[in-house]
Amino acid sequence: MDIKSKFPIFKKYPDLAYLDNGATTLKPEIVLEKMNEYYREYSANIHRGIYGISERATEEYESARVKVARFIGAAPSEIIFTFGTTASINLVASGWADKNLKRGDEILVTEMEHHSNLVPWQNLAKKKGLKIKFLPLNGIFLDISDEVLKNLVNEKTKMMAMVQVSNVLGTVNPVKDIIEKVKKINPKIVVVVDGAQAVAHMPIKVKDLGADFYAFSGHKMYGPTGIGVLWGKKERLEETEPVNFGGGMIEEVTEEGFRMASIPFRFEGGTPPIGEAIGLGEAVDFIEELGWKDIMEQEINTYKYLEEKIGGLAEMMGEGTIKILVMKGAHPHDVAQILDTVGVCVRAGHHCAMPLHQKLGLMASTRVSLAVYNDKSDVDKLIGGIKKVNKIFVKED
Amino acid sequence: MDDNLYKEIILDRYKNPQNFGEIEDVKQAEQANYLCGDKLKIYIKTDKDGVIEEAKFMGGGCAISMAAVDLLLDEIVGKKLSQVKKMKGEEIEKMLGMDLTPARKKCAYLGLEVIKKI
Repeated sequence: MDIKSKFPIFKKYPDLAYLDNGATTLKPEIVLEKMNEYYREYSANIHRGIYGISERATEEYESARVKVARFIGAAPSEIIFTFGTTASINLVASGWADKNLKRGDEILVTEMEHHSNLVPWQNLAKKKGLKIKFLPLNGIFLDISDEVLKNLVNEKTKMMAMVQVSNVLGTVNPVKDIIEKVKKINPKIVVVVDGAQAVAHMPIKVKDLGADFYAFSGHKMYGPTGIGVLWGKKERLEETEPVNFGGGMIEEVTEEGFRMASIPFRFEGGTPPIGEAIGLGEAVDFIEELGWKDIMEQEINTYKYLEEKIGGLAEMMGEGTIKILVMKGAHPHDVAQILDTVGVCVRAGHHCAMPLHQKLGLMASTRVSLAVYNDKSDVDKLIGGIKKVNKIFVKED
Repeated sequence: MDDNLYKEIILDRYKNPQNFGEIEDVKQAEQANYLCGDKLKIYIKTDKDGVIEEAKFMGGGCAISMAAVDLLLDEIVGKKLSQVKKMKGEEIEKMLGMDLTPARKKCAYLGLEVIKKI
């Protein structure tokens, strides 16, 4: 599959080995073209004008919603456009949980959460006197034994926030099983799943997962930045209060008050990122045209090759498309810097998961995260770079 | 970014720091750069006039931050602490003999920031 040719960045940097897809993916030509078309040809506001280009903008924006809905097996009316995963989770925290949880209630999170699915809950807990409990790690997996769950989940547990694919370890959590298990103990638990690292790598059917809310970003699935999605079950969305009040989310306003627009529009107050939503719709098309079989095959081939090649060059941890490298004697910053000299982009730091790093006994790590355009040549460049790091830092003094 | 960043002097100071250690009962301050996972504690012994007699550091971090602090501590012995606190970031780069990218400036300036807290 010649996938790199679909991404204009490789025209500028033909030898770029971009391995920081957990942070953001590169954007294919068709997504850029689609957004360009909006900005150049019909950049009117939506749901407003009785004129051609505004109607076209509305149509394209709503058609992006339909595509996203189909992509995750949901109804368009359950798709809320946000600014990204963080905004989506904050909408659940401020719009649903703040209203429905009371002092003494408990929120279950996991030890592998990205800060974006932890800090909103810590903030809410502080504000409302809630308790946060952590589902523990066992190696790179969550410990979901009956014993552990029985100790953590009770009638006070009102909410669970869980990542589907860890942004540090790549662990694919058995979200469906976990939700089944916790809801068996307490059927009233409302579950929000952070799907940011999942949506570009595996087919998702939100209804099969049994979750109540599902959040993800456009820019980690070949779409633009500034656009994200919150899916919510119809009943949950009906219980959710908007956080952005103003234009676009109302049906009628008088001096005495206002009536809200229907769902999902009431959650999209203000002019949304229209061009970006349309771009995200095109990113969905891009993924569907490649097809899950080929995408997954390509990614599996690449990470298997990496697992084979890394040998004893560095300690590697992680599942699937996300791995962290730990190199004795070389700080992650220095590793990333040296890799940059050979055209390899990786991430160094705590990857917005400080509690997880503490748990792993690491101050920071170097992360390699793959996407569909990565291939063996990228892995070869990475391996070459790692050898260079070893030569500079790890060689005998 | 070229390979010059990891010049002999940086690597040598990183692997064999000259000023690593603690000094008991003296002025000290610490700071962590959580973004990169660096932690640094600096100990400074001054005489009655505020002139630095001895300076040591403890901690861990990248080659740039560790080499920069090790070289900085060499540099400041014999100078007045109050003067040292007025040092500018660019002087660190001069000391290292290189220009740094914005991301690495943070690493290189860590030592000076800690001293300013003392």
